[in-house]
Amino acid sequence: MGSYYNIDAILTDAQKVPCTFDLTVPGLGYIDGNVGGDMKEGSKVELPLWLGEMLALSQNLNTSSLVTLDLPTALSPRVLNALKADPRTVDLRAIAPYFYNLGARILELFEEEEMIEVLSETFKARAAVIADQAHNPRGALGEGADFMRGLDENERQLFRAAHDSAKSVRTWIAEMKKK
Amino acid sequence: MELVTVIPRQRLEGLNLLGGPTPALTPPHRATLPLWLALLLKRQRRANISPPPWLHPTSLSAILTFETDHAGAAFSPPPRLPPGTTSSPPFLPSSTVDAAADALPYHWLELGEILLEAAPDDFEDPDAVRRLMRDLRECRMAKLRAGVEVLEAGGGFKMNGIGGMEVSEGRAFIGGVIDGLRKIGASREQQRRDKEREERENGYTATAGDDYDDDEMDM
Repeated sequence: MGSYYNIDAILTDAQKVPCTFDLTVPGLGYIDGNVGGDMKEGSKVELPLWLGEMLALSQNLNTSSLVTLDLPTALSPRVLNALKADPRTVDLRAIAPYFYNLGARILELFEEEEMIEVLSETFKARAAVIADQAHNPRGALGEGADFMRGLDENERQLFRAAHDSAKSVRTWIAEMKKK
Repeated sequence: MELVTVIPRQRLEGLNLLGGPTPALTPPHRATLPLWLALLLKRQRRANISPPPWLHPTSLSAILTFETDHAGAAFSPPPRLPPGTTSSPPFLPSSTVDAAADALPYHWLELGEILLEAAPDDFEDPDAVRRLMRDLRECRMAKLRAGVEVLEAGGGFKMNGIGGMEVSEGRAFIGGVIDGLRKIGASREQQRRDKEREERENGYTATAGDDYDDDEMDM
């Protein structure tokens, strides 16, 4: 996703995902706060997505993969059910600051047809509210404030885009009147 | 290159401009001029601009009624092109006095704002026009935003009759939504492509195998 220096991609990959070690790794205990010890087989650790992905996908010559990835809590069935019930009231930022990017990355690794549906529907429903808020700034400060706080990073960019376009048109009209 | 109709107050010889010669101005005959020249003459009080028929309050309110009550989610249709034309706006005169009264041309918002600003005294009721323009804009932007809910990563949304300024205003947001949807659906898209490629390759190898058999038979 994106360029090497894309800060959004880097931050997306830094989000934690739960991993289970399938092998005992000597000397890796410090990840789990057990300095100097071994990483036991079957222990669950939260690793950044980039590390977990690398360990899960690296196939050594003879062994199976080192760790098994699990779905992050941000995309757990509980969250998806909440989104299905009402996408507008969920605080995505509290769940994951890069919610959709994380979802897209996870979908590359897992086959979850339903998750694609839920995420697309959520994104669309929330985008419509974002557009309304962007055109009516008083709403964004008043009753819409809670919703605005719960936007994930993608949605914030969307809000900014919508708001800036409306502002540019207003500026054009104002500039033309000055001449 | 939008053309508007002016009613000159002074005589002016025809000018040879890059966009073609302008007609000689003789009051009180109407003439069609490029918008910039019309604005210049208006500012110098050498001409009056007669607003296009669609900027009249009655036509605007008719269009507004159509937008709100009959068009549903669609926009009111753009002006019909005269038969046999190969060019399109802004190279077609859509803002002269001969323009259609029942349709908003591509540059309706820009033209309306410019004319209201430069020549409010040439309108019968500039305040009513201003109000109707604002209502129309609100109503159409709301439709544009509502269209987001039916968007799909690969789908379409009918925008016939939308104006240039409205496209620009919606571009960043709608583009962002489509990009986001595409990102979410990227894995499914990838899967579909893989499957298609696999099918194509399988089909190809199958026929290749048949050829191979035929060769053996010949031998």
